[in-house]
Amino acid sequence: MNAFISVLEKYVMPVAGRIAEQKHLQAIRDGIILAMPLLIIGSLFLILGYLPIPGYNEFMAGTFGEKWLEKLLYPVGATFDIMALVVSFGVAYRLAEKYKVDALSAGAISLAAFLLATPYKVPFVPEGSKETLMVGGGIPVQWVGSKGLFVAMLLALISTEIYRKIIQKNIVIKLPDGVPPAVSRSFVALIPGFAVICLIWVSRLLLELTPFESFHNIVTVLLNKPLSTLGGSLFGAIIAVLLVQLLWSVGLHGAAIVGGIMGPIWLSLMDENRMVFQANPNADLPNVITQQFFDLWIYIGGSGATLALAVAMLLRSRSQQLKSLGRLSIAPGIFNINEPITFGMPIVMNPLLIIPFILVPIVLTIISYVAMATGLVAKPSGVAVPWTTPMIISGYLATGGKISGSILQLINFLIALAIYYPFFAMWDKQKVAEEGDITDAKMDSTMT
Amino acid sequence: MNILLVCAAGMSTSLLVTKMQQAAKEKGIEANIWAVSADEAKAHLDRADVLLLGPQVRYKLSQFKKEGEARGIPVDVINPTDYGRVNGASVLEFALRLKQ
Repeated sequence: MNAFISVLEKYVMPVAGRIAEQKHLQAIRDGIILAMPLLIIGSLFLILGYLPIPGYNEFMAGTFGEKWLEKLLYPVGATFDIMALVVSFGVAYRLAEKYKVDALSAGAISLAAFLLATPYKVPFVPEGSKETLMVGGGIPVQWVGSKGLFVAMLLALISTEIYRKIIQKNIVIKLPDGVPPAVSRSFVALIPGFAVICLIWVSRLLLELTPFESFHNIVTVLLNKPLSTLGGSLFGAIIAVLLVQLLWSVGLHGAAIVGGIMGPIWLSLMDENRMVFQANPNADLPNVITQQFFDLWIYIGGSGATLALAVAMLLRSRSQQLKSLGRLSIAPGIFNINEPITFGMPIVMNPLLIIPFILVPIVLTIISYVAMATGLVAKPSGVAVPWTTPMIISGYLATGGKISGSILQLINFLIALAIYYPFFAMWDKQKVAEEGDITDAKMDSTMT
Repeated sequence: MNILLVCAAGMSTSLLVTKMQQAAKEKGIEANIWAVSADEAKAHLDRADVLLLGPQVRYKLSQFKKEGEARGIPVDVINPTDYGRVNGASVLEFALRLKQ
């Protein structure tokens, strides 16, 4: 086991560090973070739209008119449905910041590049017809939402790379010395912006000659589909969980590192569910694996599902040290923050506790996946619940108001408790022995 | 004395902030202590005298060291045990020592 830890230290940590430090991945993660508050706000309206109270629909329709739901969900259209626009700007902004070039201009250029890659054609079904026509004159909502996420991220990275290379090579329009700096600065973005727009424009013209027709179609086929299939499978979920736990075992923030790569995939899977849910709250949702699946059903109490450990320490420990740690870690644990446990107990670099720490989330992943895939428990509805929401409440909200979501959380908590308990008891015993030694040693020293 | 703490989301370090403030009060030290997430940290650096990283984001040390050196701010990682036990007094002492 010690050899195992030294292998982790030697090989996993440097690689993880490099991945976590990678500029483009960081920019993607930070850019997506920009969209999160909007998604949570949009979710509030979603929850209000689909409260599972008998007679709620009739009451709302009677009070606010037949179109109440459509009107209530306006904010959803301006939060979830423009995700790609926000990410397009955010990723470019964050990347430009890392290169220390003007982030605002980079964001604006990236946004233009993204929309240039998006055909302004929206589907339209004329009355009395069954055929869908593509008509011009509108920015298509389907591509500026989660379906356009990958194109937005990709173009943000490409356009910002071009932007910063040109600026760093100092190919800019130079104005005479007397011109105020603010004026000359406004010209700086001109050449790189022109280069980006030309590149995307020519690429679009070329793509229109192929069967793919647009950036969005080619990225969907080559990137979206394979990544979502892999990231949305049980196998992919287990690998992701295993990585998170291994990283935490050496004391690195696994969720932040793995989430940096998987975030966009899980986000788009989540939004696929949201769109189906919004159309019909009782429909069977397409995906189990989403961001919420991990945050709310697996990591109850934080990465490793350690709320069970906090409760065990609080109620059952005989060692003073673990008892006081239990008191310290229970409140943060309820809100899914567990650093007091991972570093304080500690689990990090602790061969005994690393075993259940890795085992528990994998078991919970398999159980939750099976429970949701078979329809026993409702799937995450795409309602974005913050990961700090306590269990039971979060499971209810994230499934769009289904009690089965809360029950599964409770079951997962109990399973975690059952697996952790023997390891906790062993560790507690060891601590009691250590504490005994210390008191004995103190007694000895006072006696001599 | 301005002490900036940084972790992934600024959540678990905020636990430590409260304990460090208590410790500073007991010692009669005038200290301004706050916690932010790693991606917000850069914007807060200019107001800090010392920057401490949570052990779970220690892979960011080299990056922040560079930023810190440019501004003459010492940067280091908090001892994992102190971090886990939320030992405010010990971390405060660590920050004071770094600053010297």
